[in-house]
Amino acid sequence: MKHHLLPLSETMHYILLALREPLHGYAVMQKIEELSNGTVILAAGTLYGAIENLSKHGWIEPVGNSGRRKIYMITAEGRTILKLEQERLEHILSLYEGSESNEDV
Amino acid sequence: MKMFKVFFDIEKEELWLNEQLQKGYRCTNISSLGIYTFKKTDKRYVMRLDYQKYLPKKKFQEYKGIYEDFGWNYITHSLFGRIRYWQKEDDGQNEIFSDRQSNSHYYKRLMGYSFWLCMLMLAVAIPYMNFSELYHSGLWSMQGDLFWKAFIFETPFALLKLSPFFFSIFFGISFYKANRRYSMLKEK
Repeated sequence: MKHHLLPLSETMHYILLALREPLHGYAVMQKIEELSNGTVILAAGTLYGAIENLSKHGWIEPVGNSGRRKIYMITAEGRTILKLEQERLEHILSLYEGSESNEDV
Repeated sequence: MKMFKVFFDIEKEELWLNEQLQKGYRCTNISSLGIYTFKKTDKRYVMRLDYQKYLPKKKFQEYKGIYEDFGWNYITHSLFGRIRYWQKEDDGQNEIFSDRQSNSHYYKRLMGYSFWLCMLMLAVAIPYMNFSELYHSGLWSMQGDLFWKAFIFETPFALLKLSPFFFSIFFGISFYKANRRYSMLKEK
């Protein structure tokens, strides 16, 4: 059966993408703001819950501390999930392109 | 300024708190007995109430740390430690949840909370549910003035005995409300 977090929500998707480099919680939010051109700004509770959830599933893990802040990074399992999502989205994108070429005919 | 209030509904409490803040106050303390302390301020503040399951000390430090990074100040927690009171200066980023998934999880946690409180209160209430014993049996044989005096004297005690029952109804209502919000968020 498909994992219940799949397909990834926008929040989860961005967090996994941001954590391809090690970051602490607040830096994840800033990174996502930058990655999304300012369209996705996570709130504290959403970020906390998502980090909890993703670590519970072993898709991200703490890799160290910066002061009192925990630093997280994506795991191998998390990268597999991103790969799956990439394939799913690429397929959908290919359908977009397909329908456009049909209209041209 | 100190105010006394009792809430059975976390959303009503949040609404009331923010009404006070809009009058130019900030909240400085909330005692578990329902005494809310406010101070006058020139700045605008907002409050958000979060509900979290029991957090061990380490988890709580991480939870608190993330909220503080976003500018939230921790005021206190509720009697059973599950409701967390957060306050920050109004800067346009005033929500603690920014997507539907985390919002619906919040209502799911709330549902569990009001469900268990409702059940707990029912368990306390059931032994008192014998209505014939609410008043002393001798009361009903009294006459005229004496009856009314004794009746009025005993009524507060009778209500006190019934209070767990009322509480369970209030928690039942907040369970229903949280459930409605949850299914609305889930549906889309």
